[in-house]
Amino acid sequence: MAWEERGGRLYYYRSVRDGERVKKEYLGRGELAETIAHADETIRRHREERRAQEMAEGELLEDLVAPALEVREAARVLARASIVAAGYHRHRGEYRRERGA
Amino acid sequence: MNGALELPGDVKDRIRELQELEKRVEAGEEGARRELRRAVRESTPMVIARCADVSGKSRGMLSEAVSGGRPLIKEALEAKAEAMRSEIAGEDPTPLELLLAEDITNQWLVQEMLGAFYAGQFQRREHKGEREHKGATISGIAFLLKMQESAHRRYLAAIRELARVRKLQAGAPAVQVNTQVNILGSG
Repeated sequence: MAWEERGGRLYYYRSVRDGERVKKEYLGRGELAETIAHADETIRRHREERRAQEMAEGELLEDLVAPALEVREAARVLARASIVAAGYHRHRGEYRRERGA
Repeated sequence: MNGALELPGDVKDRIRELQELEKRVEAGEEGARRELRRAVRESTPMVIARCADVSGKSRGMLSEAVSGGRPLIKEALEAKAEAMRSEIAGEDPTPLELLLAEDITNQWLVQEMLGAFYAGQFQRREHKGEREHKGATISGIAFLLKMQESAHRRYLAAIRELARVRKLQAGAPAVQVNTQVNILGSG
């Protein structure tokens, strides 16, 4: 979204996605163009704020989940190690008793 | 990552050592199984104790997050998690079963927390007398859904792990469930 100077005057354009292409949409100049530009700017700012807020929330969620992930990994390793130590081996995702173990 | 809630470095080292030994056993290395047995015997109490410590604190944090700071809900969630943990662990559990029961409860709580957070994204709420919508972005929702999916996978994996450990501990054959349908004649 931008104001472009043509012949000493400012005209407002905005970029619009059309499938894979991005088209430039002409919105003119004057009071109406300024109102539209102001609205576009407000929407853009709101989206950016929302995105930043979501990133912060995402990081918070990851922090909350992290300790449970560590315990999960420890439990998984200990369980597998205990099974293998007890004389089993993995065969196509299943545990089988090792002969003579 | 919350530094206060990380497993200590020596526990992580033990876990890595167990992983390495397990790989060596699987590769058929002579004497590796004996070494693994020793490592499991020596590491289990320490790893389980530290995990229980981290796990307990983690449950507190997750309950707090789900409750949104409402003490009654937090207390109810913690009570439910505790009841769930002891029910899953069963009577006279081994230390490993206890750890796995703890793990399942944690993963359940993580799912609850993510579910509550996800629902909050669509909630309309009153703010200063006006209705406000949080208006989550598509990428935000996609991120949350991915987290939920992973959490669900981990929850199922934890359940599977406990079932496997119990089955192998008992040396029992695979559980077979048969369903009997009795059809009563109408005449």
